[in-house]
Amino acid sequence: MSAYRQNEHHLTLSERMQILSAGTKYDSCNQSAVCHAFGPDGRCIQLYKTLLSNSCAGECAYCPNRCERETKRASLEPAEIAKITWSFYRRNAIEGLFLSSGIMGDAEYTSQKQLEVVELLRGQGFKGYINIRVMPGTPKYLLEQIADHADKFGVNAETTNSVNYSEICPNFDYKNDVLQRLKWTRDLIEKKRSEYCGMGKMVGANDTQFVVGAVPESDKEVVKTVHKFMDKYALRRPYFMSFDPVPDTPLENGSPSPKWREQRLYQMSFLLKDYGLRSSDLDEIYDEHGYLSNADPKEVLARSQPDRFPVDINSAEMSDLLLVPGIGPISANRIVRARPIVSEQELSRVGVVVSRARPYISINGSRQTNLSSFIGACS
Amino acid sequence: MIIAFRSSVEGVLLACLAFREDPGSELIFASDVGELKGKLDLSGIEGEINMVGFDPSYRSESLSKEIFGKSKPRMASFDPDPLRYVDLLLRHKECDPAGLVRLLVFCNGDTDGLYSGKGKIAKRYYNYMREVGKAYERLCMFARPELKGGILSVVIDTPHDIADMFCRWLVRKNPDVPVAVIKNSSAWVGNGDLIGLDRFAKITASFVESLRSTSTSDDVDELWDLYYNSQMIDSRRNPGLAKKVQPKSSASMSKMSKRDRYKVERGIAGCTLDSFA
Repeated sequence: MSAYRQNEHHLTLSERMQILSAGTKYDSCNQSAVCHAFGPDGRCIQLYKTLLSNSCAGECAYCPNRCERETKRASLEPAEIAKITWSFYRRNAIEGLFLSSGIMGDAEYTSQKQLEVVELLRGQGFKGYINIRVMPGTPKYLLEQIADHADKFGVNAETTNSVNYSEICPNFDYKNDVLQRLKWTRDLIEKKRSEYCGMGKMVGANDTQFVVGAVPESDKEVVKTVHKFMDKYALRRPYFMSFDPVPDTPLENGSPSPKWREQRLYQMSFLLKDYGLRSSDLDEIYDEHGYLSNADPKEVLARSQPDRFPVDINSAEMSDLLLVPGIGPISANRIVRARPIVSEQELSRVGVVVSRARPYISINGSRQTNLSSFIGACS
Repeated sequence: MIIAFRSSVEGVLLACLAFREDPGSELIFASDVGELKGKLDLSGIEGEINMVGFDPSYRSESLSKEIFGKSKPRMASFDPDPLRYVDLLLRHKECDPAGLVRLLVFCNGDTDGLYSGKGKIAKRYYNYMREVGKAYERLCMFARPELKGGILSVVIDTPHDIADMFCRWLVRKNPDVPVAVIKNSSAWVGNGDLIGLDRFAKITASFVESLRSTSTSDDVDELWDLYYNSQMIDSRRNPGLAKKVQPKSSASMSKMSKRDRYKVERGIAGCTLDSFA
């Protein structure tokens, strides 16, 4: 038995699967177009999400799997993961695999095991989606091999800077183990893109995850970091995980981060990613301490700029349409293509949430309500 | 003059061209020549018959351009293109192909008429098209095929004629196993060459059932339940959203998604018989 499995009790496959899947339940996309399965709380679970092992050499201060904590340890063999993935995939319950892990000995060994899983699945002809969360400190040669098989892979940044990082993840170096890996991932993805150009093959994008609320960092700092990563490492998708204090960890007495904070940060990331806004454009949204309120950031931004509205649906620029609450990039594009729009019914057909957009728009000069009376009605 | 056409995409498009030339014609449709003969005998209609679409020529694309023009419809960039529109519509249980031909001719190349929903018939047909599209998506989401006897098969119960569409979707997802979608007494088989049939064929359901019955059930359902339960975060329970994304009518498409839906409604029980031991 490997050294990392010495503390494991004798558990059946089902028990191990349950323990390791529960370890990934907070990794959720919060947004999906078509999911084959939704959790009992409405979240999408279109992937078989699992840890390879929850035995971990790391001492991350917030993590339930940190090495010094007493907990039931389990791991799955690559062949077992492949078998379960196939079973669910054939049943049309999932579209692919999301594979993360505790650090089994060291990052290199863990990544080798992860690579074994993907190579096994792809070797068996698996055509589904595979997302690998690689370990901080994974060697470049392994990243290159993972890039050949996985649709998406990346290392978790967890926080916004090296000082905070060394506080919550003392075994790793932010600059070398995280940022350097993000850079390599970006380079590998760019290389794959140029190789697959015109072949119609899907190439993933760089992504990372932040633990929100484990250290006292403001939303403004998080959003600025996300924006910096987008510019520097071609980050496509940040994931946010709300901090929940875990007993028997150094942060057990910390306050849990409110769940809505995670949701608002996702909305902010979409404003950066899909709406072409810069983090500096969003400064008016935060309070004096740099935190978001529990309100839709786009709505808050629109209300803070009343002189920009109403915009006329049939003559406004794309960038102005995108600022209207209830109009997203897809519906804005549809509006431009479907002009002239003559009624709210047509707007609704192109995907606009008319009830939200109404105070901010006019259709050929006519309006249903105006912004000041709408704000008055709300207050 | 009678225009007799096959109730396929190509047949409808060819009938449009013929009907445009001679708007006073009678329209009769059938799925094949045998059915057409039966219909003609039964109706007792006599006259010159222009039969179109019964010899497939696979030129739907060029016919579509001839009828709808090359320009992209104003409102259709987020709906299926006209060809797909006709295809989906013909699969609807209540679609009248003759009515569809009349609508297409009435629109006279203005495809926005199909999508804008301004006229009563256009609106009804647009809704039909959406209903079929939704039914197909729901099948892709909630049907749970089982691998039994070496064949990945699923029984579906949908009023629309979309079994072949769903079978093709399963084939794309599972190119290495034979796939069967059973509806009533017939079944569509994909990757049929792996079991000595045509690559894509319509056969009797009993043949697939005989293959399925040779094998016992696996334990995937049990494993899935464990996985599904492990993903639950009680503090994030959102029954409203859960019900919206997992509608009751669609979730009953399979036992597996039915059980998932039950948990959405009732939550996951925290106590089991073991608790009383």
